[in-house]
Amino acid sequence: MTTPTERNDLGYNDIHEDVVRSIVKTGPKYYIALATAGSVTLLCFFFPWFYQLYYGIGAAGMNHPGVWGTYLSSFIFWIGLSHSGTLLSCVLHLTNSSWRKAMYRSAEAMTLFSLVVAATYVMVHVGRPWFIHWALPYPNQMELWPNFRSPLLFDVMAIATYITGSTIFIYMGSIPDFAAVRDRTSGWRNTMYTLLSLGWRGTDKEWHRLHWAYTFLAVLIIPLAVSVHSIVSWDFAMSIVPALHQTIFAPYFVVGAIYSGTAGIVTVMFVLRKTMGFEQYITKLHFDNLGKLLLVLSLIWTYINAVELFTGWYSGSSEEYEALGYKLFGFYAPLYWEMILFCAVAPLLMFSTRFRTSFVPMLILSIAINIGMYTERFLIIATSLSRQYLPDAWGVYVPSLVEISIMVGSFALFTTLFLVFVKIFPSVSMYEVKETMATPKIEPLAPASGSPA
Amino acid sequence: MPNIDRREFLKLVGAGGVSVGAGFMLRESTKHPREYLIPHVVAPEDISSGLSTWYNSVCSMCPAGCGISVRTREGRAKKIEGNLSHPVSQGRLCALGQAGLQALYNPDRLTAPMRRNGEGTFEEITWEQGLKQVGDRLDLLRAAGRGNRVALLTTGVRGHLAQLFESFMRQLGSPRLLHYDYDHPHTLYAANQQFFGEDRLPYYDLQNTRLLLSFGADYLSNWISPVHHSLGFGESRQGPADVRGRFVQIEPRMSISGAAADEWIPARPGTEGILALGLAHHIIAEGNYSGADRDAWMAALADYTADAVAEQTGVPATTITRLADSFVDTAPSLAIGGGSAGNHSNGVDTLVAVNALNYLVGNIGQEGGLVFNPEPAGPALQQHQASYSTMLELAEAAHHGEIDVLIINGTNPVFTLPPTAEFESALAQIPLVVSLSSFLDETTALADVILPSHTYLESWGDDFPEPGVGFSVGAVSQPVVSPLYNTRGTGDIILDLARRMGSSSVMPWQSMEEFLKYGWQRIYQRGDSQTLAQGFDAFWTSVLKAGAWGETKSGNTAFSLNPDVIAGIGVAPPEFSGSEDDYPFILHPYLSPNFHDGRGANLPWMQELPDPMTSIMYGSWVEMNPLTAQQMELSEGDLVDIQSPHGQLRVPVFIYPAIMPNVIAIPIGQGHGEYGRYAKDRGVNPIQILSPQLEPVTGSLASSATRVNVSATGKRVKLVKTGGTSRDLGRNIIQTTGGSGVEVSSVSSNSIPITEVTS
Amino acid sequence: MSLFSRFLDGWRKYRKPGYYEKFDYHWTMTVDLDKCTGCEACMMACQAENNIPVVGEDEVARGRELQWIRVERYWEGEYPNARLRFMPMMCQHCDAAPCETVCPVSATYHNQDGLNTQIYNRCIGTRSCAVYCPYEVRYFNYYDHGWDSPLEQQLNPDVTVRGKGVMEKCTFCIQRIRQAKDLAKDDDRRRVQDGEMQPACVQTCPTKALVFGDRNDPESQVSLSMDDPRSYRVLDELNTDSSVFYLKKVDA
Ligand SMILES: Nc1nc2c(c(=O)[nH]1)N[C@H]1C(S)=C(S)[C@@H](COP(=O)(O)OP(=O)(O)OC[C@H]3O[C@@H](n4cnc5c(=O)[nH]c(N)nc54)[C@H](O)[C@@H]3O)O[C@H]1N2
Ligand SMILES: Nc1nc2c(c(=O)[nH]1)N[C@H]1C(S)=C(S)[C@@H](COP(=O)(O)OP(=O)(O)OC[C@H]3O[C@@H](n4cnc5c(=O)[nH]c(N)nc54)[C@H](O)[C@@H]3O)O[C@H]1N2
Ligand code: SF4
Ligand code: SF4
Ligand code: SF4
Ligand code: SF4
Ligand code: SF4
Repeated sequence: MTTPTERNDLGYNDIHEDVVRSIVKTGPKYYIALATAGSVTLLCFFFPWFYQLYYGIGAAGMNHPGVWGTYLSSFIFWIGLSHSGTLLSCVLHLTNSSWRKAMYRSAEAMTLFSLVVAATYVMVHVGRPWFIHWALPYPNQMELWPNFRSPLLFDVMAIATYITGSTIFIYMGSIPDFAAVRDRTSGWRNTMYTLLSLGWRGTDKEWHRLHWAYTFLAVLIIPLAVSVHSIVSWDFAMSIVPALHQTIFAPYFVVGAIYSGTAGIVTVMFVLRKTMGFEQYITKLHFDNLGKLLLVLSLIWTYINAVELFTGWYSGSSEEYEALGYKLFGFYAPLYWEMILFCAVAPLLMFSTRFRTSFVPMLILSIAINIGMYTERFLIIATSLSRQYLPDAWGVYVPSLVEISIMVGSFALFTTLFLVFVKIFPSVSMYEVKETMATPKIEPLAPASGSPA
Repeated sequence: MPNIDRREFLKLVGAGGVSVGAGFMLRESTKHPREYLIPHVVAPEDISSGLSTWYNSVCSMCPAGCGISVRTREGRAKKIEGNLSHPVSQGRLCALGQAGLQALYNPDRLTAPMRRNGEGTFEEITWEQGLKQVGDRLDLLRAAGRGNRVALLTTGVRGHLAQLFESFMRQLGSPRLLHYDYDHPHTLYAANQQFFGEDRLPYYDLQNTRLLLSFGADYLSNWISPVHHSLGFGESRQGPADVRGRFVQIEPRMSISGAAADEWIPARPGTEGILALGLAHHIIAEGNYSGADRDAWMAALADYTADAVAEQTGVPATTITRLADSFVDTAPSLAIGGGSAGNHSNGVDTLVAVNALNYLVGNIGQEGGLVFNPEPAGPALQQHQASYSTMLELAEAAHHGEIDVLIINGTNPVFTLPPTAEFESALAQIPLVVSLSSFLDETTALADVILPSHTYLESWGDDFPEPGVGFSVGAVSQPVVSPLYNTRGTGDIILDLARRMGSSSVMPWQSMEEFLKYGWQRIYQRGDSQTLAQGFDAFWTSVLKAGAWGETKSGNTAFSLNPDVIAGIGVAPPEFSGSEDDYPFILHPYLSPNFHDGRGANLPWMQELPDPMTSIMYGSWVEMNPLTAQQMELSEGDLVDIQSPHGQLRVPVFIYPAIMPNVIAIPIGQGHGEYGRYAKDRGVNPIQILSPQLEPVTGSLASSATRVNVSATGKRVKLVKTGGTSRDLGRNIIQTTGGSGVEVSSVSSNSIPITEVTS
Repeated sequence: MSLFSRFLDGWRKYRKPGYYEKFDYHWTMTVDLDKCTGCEACMMACQAENNIPVVGEDEVARGRELQWIRVERYWEGEYPNARLRFMPMMCQHCDAAPCETVCPVSATYHNQDGLNTQIYNRCIGTRSCAVYCPYEVRYFNYYDHGWDSPLEQQLNPDVTVRGKGVMEKCTFCIQRIRQAKDLAKDDDRRRVQDGEMQPACVQTCPTKALVFGDRNDPESQVSLSMDDPRSYRVLDELNTDSSVFYLKKVDA
């Protein structure tokens, strides 16, 4: 069995101390980071959004025919990113890949917060968010229900379920750690963790049930995650817009989601490792394994893109053909080739083990992949809507400053949420890291003299 | 860094969030001003809440004189539709006609009389002050026998308002009554006078014609009576079973009518008349004309062989002979001419040539041909139509200090005359310029006193459409809403001024309404015994209800050609101002379908209605042949300077697939320096660079005879337009069906009026 | 009826797009491309009748125009044989409307008259219907559009003024249809007669290129017109089962 830590001399207590320290001890750097993230969120996300709420969604660049824009591509992007965590964590849990253990907690948090940001994007995207509850099926005097035939409604359902599942999953997995922190803190923290740990005492029965429930949820969440992104793809694929009406979209989106999600994990791992001092827990091994996974995903992604182009060309219909040519050589073509470079060509570097085990290059690549993947989502919308059936109605869409600001702000929002998270949740799963370690010997209390018993 | 602990930090974040939210909610909650309901305990007359009342009236947005039905609710005009019982519009309207509501409710209307004060700005005055100032001056001049120092310049009004103007000027003893409109077809009137001996427009029976040759007349958009022509066009296409009219359009730049035509033929600008004579020559040469005057025709047309004409016009000889043959073979057929074809130095000759074509195939007085209108039932005064030369004379007289008072009604010569007329400086020479306009247009902005009149939807008037529809038609224009502002009807203002200059014995009427009723007595007298038995009031009410009055008596159909005309037939090559070397392009200014001669530019609806041919909104552009543009390395949106011998404009390029390579076209209508927020400072006015090239017979401006030079500026703008790509890329979106043997249907639209007409 | 069969019945109805056995009226329009001159009187009529705001130059430049009916133009050939053809394009009131299935809140649905209705009140502004509509006739209110006073006095009191965040499109002038149906009902519960009611665009079209009526009435002008051999539907291959029929342009 591979060892997840670089130092073999770590004791259980070291882990506890490292992790609890990360919660309790807060340096000024943290506050600077939080204040920065928080104010960027306010300034770049909420302020422009309020502006848009007040004046109307015209603050964004959408038009006719480009009625969808970056808000929706950001939505897909964040949903995609959410696949990093929980899904991966579940798969790795079920396949008993022990290297997951040091990183999965924060990966799951990423899932959760990406979903929160994605859900917020829905509100940013629609013209009248103050009526968004009409998209929820709740009994009402008017007997008005949402339209269950709508892929958008499938979306609402899927995402709601996914958020619920992911929340329970991350929470349940954290209970023993909450208990561990509870035992090492005092004051209001102690009260909070007492509540959060639900009276965990660590009995055999409790451990047994936790494992059972955890595995059960892991099995449940995998199809859920796959369905979520399939459904997101149907928002597009169920239309009859040339280049959106594609049967391959569901697997394409799922693969794309896991791809960008995994790249996202690499980025977050790197940041956690540097900023939280988790060098011992997040190692070259993780980067190596994630790199291999990324490489495989990149190849599948490239394959699907090629298939999409081929079928479009093969169809011979003016509409599909035009949409395809436009993607490759039209107004948005520079973005297309940027995407190909970042998502299909650059990842080939990961064939090299040296590349995979180098932290900074992997960081850069992971960011590039996500830029490419964001571009992909943007292009799916922008190129397809620009060139539909009636050439007289063609037009281009360019994002506005408000949209770009909200896009930047959404990263700050994500960061803010994450920063709050690391102060509440033990960001490395203590008990599971411990599981991977040799059981420590009980040192005799007496001064060592002679050979141990 | 400042020592902020967690507590402090959370407080700050909280406070920030709350104040942003609170500010937002405050704005939201203070947004809507309070509105009050209007109590209808004592409801105004004609208003029943929740019920529409329809008033029939007359459109005044262009000279066609369509009948309109205006829907009102709670005393407000809601929609203008065509009056079903009016023979010109038959329930239909063009876009501009429907946008008339925005003239009524225009935010930039003049709301009260104004006078220019010492500082040169306008200050509000009372009607009494304004009328007194003008009336006193008129009275003084008249008393001193210097009434001829008063000029009245009006848009081409018809009916009793025209008569009122005439009486008014007679009282002053001034011959200076001028009807001026940029688009008045002077050459067409002159050509008809020459050929038919009639100073009236005939009725063009498009509905029944089976082949229409249009020489430059954009009859579906701006020429004479577009709605009525469109009705005829629609009826001719797929109207009667098994018959489908064919339309051929001859013009250097494809107009709306060119697009609707089955064949569009570009002929060199100004050679349309030569082409018509080429056709005539071929008709006679082929022995297809057998009149007694055949030899005279043959002699007159000897030079116009197909080959010679092909040489001059650039139209292939085969096309000429084919057109001529089908013009003979298809009966009834009809040739019309006007628009750019009439706006050349040879304009009258060109339109005479077109008339000759009709004569040769015997279309005159025939169904599906050209039918003479009877004498209008009411006053119709063509003799005051002012051409460009007449306007020059007026300007000159002003420059010589011969004009003391100029009253301007509804026309905007500062905008529609080229600067070479020096009209603006002429205005400055006139001591008292009075404008009766409803809007602060370019001319009104230079007035000394503004006595703002009602819009047509608030005032009384009447109309005898010119051309008629083959029989006598009259229509009363009645107010459909009470006046919005402190304005008065033009007729009422004139009557008031007449009283003030002591003419009340000759012009005794207290109001325009009264004068109208007086005038319509004459029409009532023409009625049959039944009408007469019911009395005038019943007749008047019924006219108001129906909005139109008509007689079924047709005009005289007999026509014999004065033999002198034939000898004079011939079209000289057009003359252009500017040398071809310095100015390689011919400028083709055309009336914009949206703004007519610019009067529609202050209507936001018209500004936001895409130009039909290009989908451009809100601006000006210059149309260029794709090859020309390619040679000059220009593409859509490139700003170019258009230089004529008399001025320069900067305007973006639009690549136009159907324009001759050496012609560039700019629509007229934009480029206002005044005229309200929607019109002001938008686009360019091509009239401003026209050369003062004249049509010698009428003295009208040969507005299509200016040569220009085009030079790139290297700058670009984005054209504001709605259309994306206007090629269908083989998608078969607009499907067509083949030429001969087409099955055509006879289904046409249906109309049962559900509207109750109330007066 | 058992609970189960009721459920099945409901489900079947629900599955069938436009789940009416037969429409009460089946409003239909025909557009004779051979007559249409592209004059845009129809666009103006619609603008005036349906309180469609003017969005202004900047907004148009951004592609935010509001045109329930637009006239599309397609050039063919090159000079001197270039020709331009016009095609008025408005909501086709598809009986299998893609826009209806995607609306999450059923703000757009099919009514008993075969109309694709748009409930402004219910719309939450996802704009997905506009993406799904292959004719691109759905227009969105990116802002609250005002009327410079006193232009608002012209507003048609029978038609709602739409606010920001709401999708809108041609309704076949539903307010006129309702009025005609009300009148017919008051008048001895008769059916609306052919030609009794016309949408604003049809009413004004100067060439009478547009014909409107009830397809359920085999004698109606529109029934006759849509049976014309020249009749076809735009993008028929998409199976939207649209209610606007175009009559082919004649190339003569
Ligand atoms: N005279 C009179 N006045 C009343 C009442 C009354 O009984 N009599 N009742 C009062 C009451 S209780 C109420 S609730 C209000 C109701 O008043 P309104 O809300 O005005 O109700 P309606 O007149 O039924 O419908 C409004 C408009 O919606 C249009 N419409 C119908 N279906 C659709 C659709 O699918 N889409 C769109 N876009 N438009 C559609 C109709 O053509 C009509 O023009 O009236 C109040 N005022
Ligand atoms: N077909 C159709 N049905 C509709 C609607 C529609 O548009 N079309 N609209 C719906 C809507 S929005 C509404 S609000 C409902 C309205 O439906 P209802 O509430 O049924 O309204 P009404 O029929 O106007 O009034 C009910 C009764 O109240 C009586 N009444 C009047 N004044 C008084 C009073 O002071 N005291 C008492 N005790 N009785 C009084 C009247 O005589 C009448 O018999 O209809 C709904 N049903
Ligand atoms: S053609 Fe148009 S603008 Fe002219 S009178 Fe008729 S409706 Fe009015
Ligand atoms: S009004 Fe009639 S002719 Fe004019 S564009 Fe519309 S459909 Fe065509
Ligand atoms: S044309 Fe478009 S908006 Fe109209 S019913 Fe069809 S899909 Fe819906
Ligand atoms: S924009 Fe409105 S009508 Fe269209 S899908 Fe969204 S909620 Fe439904
Ligand atoms: S039917 Fe009515 S709503 Fe539809 S385009 Fe015509 S005028 Fe506009």
